[in-house]
Amino acid sequence: MEAVEYFEVECPEEAGREYYRRITEVVLLDHNLLRVIQKLHIFIDPRVPIFVATGLTRKLPSVVRVRDFADVNAREGGVTISIGDEAYLAPLLRMLWGKYGKEHVNQPDRFTVILTPGEGDEGISDLPVYHPSESIYKDLIYVLQVIQPEGFKVRKQYYGGNRFYLVASEDTLPEDVEDLVRQKFALMGVEG
Amino acid sequence: MTHVPVTYKGGIYRHDEIIDLIEDLGGYIIQKHVIAQEIVLQALVPREDIELIRRIGKPLTGEISPSPLVGAEIAVVTPSLEIHHLPHASCDVAEYIRRFGAKTNMVGLARGFGKRIAQLNDEERDVINEHDLAVYLLGDFEACIERKFPVLRRGIDVPIVLCGGPPTETLKKIVDPPVDGYVGGVGRFMHRTKESEEIDKLEEVVGEVTRVLDRHRDVLARDPLSISPARLMDIVTENVEEIQDVLSPTPITVQMRGLRVKLPYDTFAPVIRKTVVDEGVTIGDLSTVLPSRMRDYILVRIKPFSETNLVI
Repeated sequence: MEAVEYFEVECPEEAGREYYRRITEVVLLDHNLLRVIQKLHIFIDPRVPIFVATGLTRKLPSVVRVRDFADVNAREGGVTISIGDEAYLAPLLRMLWGKYGKEHVNQPDRFTVILTPGEGDEGISDLPVYHPSESIYKDLIYVLQVIQPEGFKVRKQYYGGNRFYLVASEDTLPEDVEDLVRQKFALMGVEG
Repeated sequence: MTHVPVTYKGGIYRHDEIIDLIEDLGGYIIQKHVIAQEIVLQALVPREDIELIRRIGKPLTGEISPSPLVGAEIAVVTPSLEIHHLPHASCDVAEYIRRFGAKTNMVGLARGFGKRIAQLNDEERDVINEHDLAVYLLGDFEACIERKFPVLRRGIDVPIVLCGGPPTETLKKIVDPPVDGYVGGVGRFMHRTKESEEIDKLEEVVGEVTRVLDRHRDVLARDPLSISPARLMDIVTENVEEIQDVLSPTPITVQMRGLRVKLPYDTFAPVIRKTVVDEGVTIGDLSTVLPSRMRDYILVRIKPFSETNLVI
């Protein structure tokens, strides 16, 4: 957990605190998220019961655009996109199908996509293909659900900017749960 | 003649000689595993003949070791088997107990998670009660265990060994009325047990299970069963030939107080009841043949001497 600047587990029971410290470390490591998280504070009170995880993510990589992984050439009869990094091929195809329709998107081989209308390549290389923050949000929330005690089915989660939190309980969440979250953020030195 | 539970491990070459020897000495083979070129036998053998088996097995690279849990069926009860909470400590515990000869079944409760919302339904209760012992593996918080354990143990009349995250002393303090065994420091964790301290904890669980079962055996010995379960298993195997067609690893599971026969109840319960054990005595006279809550199996509960006035 050296990569994480701030990591605390707060719990009235000592044994439980140690267990959850270890569980958090193992789960974050298993899901490869240690590098993404900058600060993490976990609060568990089994007497209520409530689980609150608050944290900050590091600066995320920016949006991936077509030009970042492919070359775009306008030719007669179509625009040819030569793919350099296959990792983004699936979201690229999905985006092109949505924008131009499947009948205009042709893929003769693994690394080549041809757009038939031939309207020129203006703007294609700037199209956003993949937002890393979207999948990181899903991964983070999934990981926090894995960490939380079993059976906490009532959940509230948030991710925005570089902040995220997840509150979970088996009972209806208290109305002042936002205050609790704010307090936990304050413990990490984050205001507001 | 007292039988002791042992495990024999050796090469597959001439292993039938060992099986014949154990049977000739009056012992019983409970389970036989063939793993590639190796064979593992779990058996009950007469105490005085262990040395003989060891001597005969030696040229066949056979080793014989005591396995205190052979002949016991144990339920490992866990509040849930949710996929995103795997790997569970329960997998490791169930697997480790198995190494000592017990037959373990994992019982994942449908709604056992949570603190206030934890429940145990009648099917789960009956399935757990069909075993010789239940190992409960609960979570890491004492407040939670204190609240939910009374619900999860309601109606359970087999001995319970409680495992949880808090220290053993804490578990003893929060459980009322007391259960038969406690092992602290085995709560929810998200990794496989590999380190030596963790293996020591599993040893501790096995030690506690063995201790509780030994005490339970002593209680049973005060009013002995009319027939030993292992002998009854032999009789059923010899007389009900359909059991040979059952593909389960243990077509007949030996328990401390009876058997679980993996044949459909409606068809085979009358057959088993009528099977002759000794002159004029049938299995129906010595035991109660019941439908099991586990699939469509048959549960044979052997009656004690005080009920039948017979010991065979």
